[in-house]
Amino acid sequence: MMYRLDAHPAEWIDRSRAVSFQFEGTQYQGFEGDTISSALAAAGVPYQGRSFKYHRPRSILSFANHDSNTLFQVDGVPNVRGDVTLLRAGMHVSAVNTFGGLVRDRARILDRFARFLPVGFYYKAFHSKRWFPRWERMFRAMTGLGTVSLDAGRSTTPKRYGFCDVLVIGGGPSGLSAALEAAAAGARVGLVEEAFRLGGTGPWGERGEDSVQSLAQAAHDSPGITLFPATVAAGYYSDHWLALAEPHRMTKMRAKAVVFATGVIEQPAVFRNNDLPGVLLASGAWRLLRRYRVAPGRTVVMVAANLEAYSVCLELHDQGVRIAAIVDFRSAPEEGEAAAACASCGIPVMRGSAPYEAIAGADGAVAALAIAPLDASGRIDPRRRQRIGCDAVLMSVGWAAATQLFVQAGGTTRFSEELQQFVPKDLPPGIFVAGRMNGVHDFGSRLADGKRAGSQAAAHAGFGSPSTAIVARAVRCPSHRFPIVDHPRGKNFVDYDEDLQVKDLENAAQEGFDSSELLKRYSTVGMGPSQGKHSNMNALRVLARVRGLSVEQLGLTTSRPMYHPVPMKLLAGRAFSIERRTPVDAQHRAHGAVWMPAGNWRRPEYYAVTGETRAQSIEAEVQAVRGRLGLIDVGTLGKIEIYGPQAGTFLDRVYAGKYSDMKAGTTRYGLMLDESGVIVDDGVIARLAAELFYFTTTTGGSATVFRELLRLNALWGLDCSLVNVTGHRAAFNFAGPLCRDVLQSLTDLDLQDAAFPYLGVREGLVTGVQARLLRVGFVGELGYEIHIPAGAAAAVWQALHDAGLPRGLRPFGVEAQRVLRLEKGHFIVGQDTDGLTDPFEANARWAVSMQKPFFIGQRSLKILQARGPRQKLVGIEILDPARLPRECQLVIDGDRIAGRITSVVRSRTLQRSIGLAMVAPQLADAGGEIRIRTDHGEMLAARIAATPFYDPQNLRQRAGAGHGRT
Amino acid sequence: MAELEFDARDRRTRLGMKGPRAAEWLVAQGLGVPMAPNSWARSTGASGSGAVLVARLGQSEFFLEDAPAGTTLRAIAPALAAHPPGVYPVLREDAVFELSGAGVHDVLAQVCNVNFAELALDSHPVIMTLMIGVAVLAVPESMHEGPCAERRYRFWCDPTFGPFLCETLAVVVAECGGAGHDSQHR
Repeated sequence: MMYRLDAHPAEWIDRSRAVSFQFEGTQYQGFEGDTISSALAAAGVPYQGRSFKYHRPRSILSFANHDSNTLFQVDGVPNVRGDVTLLRAGMHVSAVNTFGGLVRDRARILDRFARFLPVGFYYKAFHSKRWFPRWERMFRAMTGLGTVSLDAGRSTTPKRYGFCDVLVIGGGPSGLSAALEAAAAGARVGLVEEAFRLGGTGPWGERGEDSVQSLAQAAHDSPGITLFPATVAAGYYSDHWLALAEPHRMTKMRAKAVVFATGVIEQPAVFRNNDLPGVLLASGAWRLLRRYRVAPGRTVVMVAANLEAYSVCLELHDQGVRIAAIVDFRSAPEEGEAAAACASCGIPVMRGSAPYEAIAGADGAVAALAIAPLDASGRIDPRRRQRIGCDAVLMSVGWAAATQLFVQAGGTTRFSEELQQFVPKDLPPGIFVAGRMNGVHDFGSRLADGKRAGSQAAAHAGFGSPSTAIVARAVRCPSHRFPIVDHPRGKNFVDYDEDLQVKDLENAAQEGFDSSELLKRYSTVGMGPSQGKHSNMNALRVLARVRGLSVEQLGLTTSRPMYHPVPMKLLAGRAFSIERRTPVDAQHRAHGAVWMPAGNWRRPEYYAVTGETRAQSIEAEVQAVRGRLGLIDVGTLGKIEIYGPQAGTFLDRVYAGKYSDMKAGTTRYGLMLDESGVIVDDGVIARLAAELFYFTTTTGGSATVFRELLRLNALWGLDCSLVNVTGHRAAFNFAGPLCRDVLQSLTDLDLQDAAFPYLGVREGLVTGVQARLLRVGFVGELGYEIHIPAGAAAAVWQALHDAGLPRGLRPFGVEAQRVLRLEKGHFIVGQDTDGLTDPFEANARWAVSMQKPFFIGQRSLKILQARGPRQKLVGIEILDPARLPRECQLVIDGDRIAGRITSVVRSRTLQRSIGLAMVAPQLADAGGEIRIRTDHGEMLAARIAATPFYDPQNLRQRAGAGHGRT
Repeated sequence: MAELEFDARDRRTRLGMKGPRAAEWLVAQGLGVPMAPNSWARSTGASGSGAVLVARLGQSEFFLEDAPAGTTLRAIAPALAAHPPGVYPVLREDAVFELSGAGVHDVLAQVCNVNFAELALDSHPVIMTLMIGVAVLAVPESMHEGPCAERRYRFWCDPTFGPFLCETLAVVVAECGGAGHDSQHR
């Protein structure tokens, strides 16, 4: 069992500040500087979590965020990484993935049924349609890690952009060396390190210790180096752009050159019960010992295959920990000072031996290790096994290079049989590598390699001359070729996150999932929170043995961001949500606007009046427009000017109608199509002068349309120029039988029909402000769209409102406008049309001038015209006045879907419910009946009706007041 | 600390224009025109009532802002409105704000991916970029002489984005320890 040792000057904890916290309902104490895991370990908590599938008890494995054994729910936040999260006073910590608590987890019984949960079992379970719903419910209830609290408060974190000349990833000896060298050349350097402090993971030997300390201090002191401690380089994107996940923000760093000094990740030995609490990686034990003064146990067995194992044993021995044995996979004796020192301390070494199985004690933690000799072929001989009592087993059998980010950057790797790791092969421009991930393991060589890489990176960024030094890779292999021991009863785990045993991978390969990519997806190896950091290498070895291939031949799976799981809040950042407001936003507020989003605008849905319901207010607004006058802000419409001798020609090409023959002072409807003849936008086009048109687009289409027009203008090279004034002009629709009388008092223009007919456009003063007035008929009444500079909008709106109020004016919002236009049968692009609707289907043939030489979509329309419509947009009247269908409800013909409702409303003006529907052509005849399926399966009847429903002759909008309703 | 100044009462006259003869027309009005695309210059113009900022946006579009209480642009506006050949008016009703102070680059780093701190001001650059997803025009200036001089950035944007942009910037400025003066939304 783990325990806390006496203080040491190099420790990372502050023993003068005790920190109290709760774990699984029990109070514990740690120190400031402890992580959650280190504090629990020091307190002797036997295990800290349960595994994902079998709910086996788990404790610290890597102590480096390279496994998910120590994931916690902390104060409502799920999946907190205990290895690397600092302890905070008052924390409430609990294990994830348990039912009834860590100790009494009801799901622990699954461990006994492991044989019924083989690799790929859920694929096989899901195969049965009958059982699928039951399996799905069960898996959803049982799987997943952590609990999302729906009551959690909003937490936003900032994001920022960063810039540097050289970014060094990895703050160990080679990374420090690279950063200092680049800074010395004059480059601005960023140095990213996952741990809270610089230096990396030892042991380095006494001389190495001093070097690391002085390098770290120099980096702190260097004005040319910006440090990013406790930061993960989460992903590499194009052009040396990296996402740095800091504790409380994301930095999006752009560098001119990048040095990957990302080191290596220790790999576990694979043997039965290698996941018991108390079995951990030697590097993890070293970090616990050095940084937090926590010993892994009182009696330790080291499973070894490299020199680091002996160095760690020495350090433990010096702290009073008994090393019961070093079990070395290798037959040849280890050379070097550390091995000799171990021998002189009397530490027994069993060469040519391997762990057979770890044996649990009554508390579920490791109590002994059974070991056995390896024969000449490397196979274990269990008949000669012996048992060694211990309370901790450390594993130091090898490493996998942390090449993930390097590969994301476009680097390639090859497998070095000599070093038993992947090493960089081809480096893209601006990418440099150093240290252990480069296959350089000797301490002195790592420093030299870092210096070389830093110099070359700085030179690439334009600082100094590049080093020409060549640093040789290691000669002695630090990793065992095959640290995997078979056992007839299994439970020899390769992937701790996914509870995958050796036989799972063998079975997957035998079932045909026998490439590294297929093996990953079928078995889920490497798909857990640690993303294969501790498992991919051994999985490849197992697969290589099954296939009789080399690791190089199999290759690694594709590495993609994120390197470590990143909290969603760092990705979301402040969650900016752009909102546009028209210049009369304050006026709307004053009138009681109830807001609605329209694209990225906020618009009044309606104006609330005390004593009225929403429906009543909307209806009152509709009636105001029909009977008196109304005022609506249509400033969200796209507004574009086009100047130049070929402005008309341009519009002829872009829109389906003809515009180059318009007289100045007139407007015409514009229908915009794409190349396939589908309606994509519409608006009104006004000719103001021979070489000046002013036209509108839909609210949602303005940015896209303008961008497309710019592209077309550049492509065609016509003599014309486009100006987007959408936000710089406000626009109001002043409509109703009384609007002309009121407006006349405010303008110098003659508004009578003779001077300003329907569909005309005029420029003049409105309340002293230069304005453009368009006589349009979207709502079906006499109306004027008044377009003015945004700066004058508030004053003009107020003047119109004040002048109209005595005549019964009501401002009206989007909902009332939708009713009004629907009564006229006007379609809305994107609501009544879809991604396939062409003008023939939308009854807009009249807006198309097929005889023009060219317009976008023309060729497709010829084909569509010959083919005939597949659907038709029709007006409908609901036969039952008491019932109202909803938009998107389906039209049913026999047993087939024959269309849908696109718009529908109960019209008080017309005393019936009306709408638009897209139906199969054979149902589109006027007077015919259709059936609509409602949400509950009931069928409603409707009749096809001609549009416009209201004022079919369009008399009211042409000649205004004096004409009765129809 | 950074400071944000957003003043809806800023009534300086602004004009925009574009077209194949726009540069020539400006010179004819007595205004100096920067030669390089995406650069700015100050010109007193014929009226001499205060320096007009003349920003060249790309090759053939110009944005002009008069000095506070300046009258130069008001004087030439009618001529522009008369649509001289090859010169197309661009209505400019921009929202305007300024960012300055020692912490200005910390704020800008959170809202825009342009490396403003590294910009060389000698060439009088005009920056057209996105800030929190909103298209902005930016002109940086040194507040005094010297290589380490603090900078002031003046921004213009579509007025319909102005309230969102300034409200959001005010939050960021405040978190960076600065102060925002948003006179329109007090």
